[in-house]
Amino acid sequence: MADKLLEIKNLKQHFNVGKANEVKAVDDISFDIYRGETLGLVGESGCGKSTTGRSIIRLYDATSGDVFFEGENVHGKKSKKDLKKFNRKMQMIFQDPYASLNPRMKVMDIIAEGIDIHGLAKNAADRKKMVFDLLETVGLNKEHANRYPHEFSGGQRQRLGIARALAVDPDFIIADEPISALDVSIQAQVVNLLKELQEEKGLTYLFIAHDLSMVKYISDRIGVMYFGKLVELAPAEDLYNNPMHPYTQSLLSAIPLPDPNYERNRVRKSYDPATHNYTEADNVQMREITPGHFVQCSEKEFESLKAASAVR
Amino acid sequence: MEKILQVKDLELSFNTFGGEVKAIRGVNFDLYKGETLAIVGESGSGKSVTTKSIMRLLPENSAEFKNGEILFGGRDLTKLSDKEMQKIRGKDISMIFQDPMTSLNPTMPIGRQITEPILKHQKISKAEAKKVAIDLLRLVGMPKPELRMKQYPHQFSGGQRQRIVIAISLACNPQILIADEPTTALDVTIQAQILELMKDLQKKIDTSIIFITHDLGVVANVADRVAVMYGGKIVEIGTVDEIFYNPQHPYTWGLLSSMPSLDTSDAKLYAIPGTPPDLLAPPKGDAFALRSEYALQIDMEQNPPFFKVSDTHYAATWLLHPDAPQVEPPATVVERMKKFPGSRYYEGGAVYNGR
Repeated sequence: MADKLLEIKNLKQHFNVGKANEVKAVDDISFDIYRGETLGLVGESGCGKSTTGRSIIRLYDATSGDVFFEGENVHGKKSKKDLKKFNRKMQMIFQDPYASLNPRMKVMDIIAEGIDIHGLAKNAADRKKMVFDLLETVGLNKEHANRYPHEFSGGQRQRLGIARALAVDPDFIIADEPISALDVSIQAQVVNLLKELQEEKGLTYLFIAHDLSMVKYISDRIGVMYFGKLVELAPAEDLYNNPMHPYTQSLLSAIPLPDPNYERNRVRKSYDPATHNYTEADNVQMREITPGHFVQCSEKEFESLKAASAVR
Repeated sequence: MEKILQVKDLELSFNTFGGEVKAIRGVNFDLYKGETLAIVGESGSGKSVTTKSIMRLLPENSAEFKNGEILFGGRDLTKLSDKEMQKIRGKDISMIFQDPMTSLNPTMPIGRQITEPILKHQKISKAEAKKVAIDLLRLVGMPKPELRMKQYPHQFSGGQRQRIVIAISLACNPQILIADEPTTALDVTIQAQILELMKDLQKKIDTSIIFITHDLGVVANVADRVAVMYGGKIVEIGTVDEIFYNPQHPYTWGLLSSMPSLDTSDAKLYAIPGTPPDLLAPPKGDAFALRSEYALQIDMEQNPPFFKVSDTHYAATWLLHPDAPQVEPPATVVERMKKFPGSRYYEGGAVYNGR
């Protein structure tokens, strides 16, 4: 687990810089992603989780900060050739399987687009075989290659999106809410597929979602974002059993569980950022409370959290 | 308890170029006064079509009632004229739609949108209607309602917009409120607020709610009774405890085990194989049989009738027939059944009393 695949350092992504309506979508966040793990990223809409994913893969040019992929800076100036090499290693699966596939292209060409760009196929027959293999990997069959996206159901389309991401044999995949547009019964199919592929190919995932129960199921570690900042980062079990940041606690208390008796007794906590009473001198930053469990807090809060977790 | 709405043997089809899509194939249920009935099922199972047919919101040129009746206040809603229906819609039965971004008119201040149904259905002056609207906004927890009346939808957040939609739907104190995935587009924290608001309001004005969703967590939170739909039919109906702790239909088992609970281990998540049936040519027997590992020979040939589990709990599966073999439900479901007195896996302890 110690092998860092990706290091994100002080990443900032601000929009409309210098204007009255400047938005700090991602505001100075740092974290590492280890090889072979799944890092879940949760938070409410508008908290910057998708922007974080998009900045990492350079769909946006970051305002400041660095992203190191296998030790190489992704956001440094790079030639087209270097970028292409990097693009091959990092791929993305999008939220909406209806909007992310070109309706005028056949499945064969959608999946092979990356193969063509990177020149991975030796000849037409090889290209065809690669697409057929990919379709099989994601649980579709080769007859599907000659169809158009509209001929598929939502779950099948998401499988196509996964096949397309896998086509260039990446190491790292950013999955931006890959299941939230799907039905419950289909969600489980897609999540199982993602897990299987991870085991087979040793993939690393950044899994962005707001469905916390699914995130917990698929992730090794989870980061919680609130208004552009990472407020807590911890191993999945740890985060659920012992959430330390008040926002995480309120988020967890809001998830409805399929258990009527639990629901009757659920007490929802609400979060008010004003209760922290931070001042300039507080030096609010991510601090490690227990090994691997980071919380955004002031020095005073750090001491009390540390004392509280020592009792546990 | 008083029955406020009865849906009897409802069958409805859409005439399309591809042929007749049998969207609802014999749906029966009653709605009691003051209760919340949740309808769950995946997309295409007919849950939205069922409620839209109660509201008569389906396109008249393609949707066709084939059979059955919807009884409300002694009248059959399927037979009413458009004019008569307009008097019921928004007044006696009103609806909250899924997407608060598109269900409000972007060119109208929200005050006018709330007073619209009041002025339409009640004989009161504009000034009085405005007062009612402000009270409604206050009721749904909107700060500074007087100021906000003049604002346009784009000036509100998603959660606030859904509160406005709820205010509009409650404007005439409806007897039935149909909520079609009202929280699906919202964040969990906002969702929790809206659900609490709806439960509060229900207590205050004693309305009956039909709540459509595919999120079983939400169902566990809001519902008194649950109907599970699959392939245009209700396959199981019962109180919320009966459905969650003593489910009988293999499809309900599949739904419950495909959701990871917060203590699910790393074991593989159960996924219902295959895809929902094509309702252009619905399967002959049990629509779920092709995806079910518990399917019997008879499931392929004959549609199962409802078998009674308790006075409030019915399930349409041949597994409940006295001659059927006894099968072991998935492990996660057995875990649930252990908590339910009356199920054959009951281990004592925790007894649930309804709300």
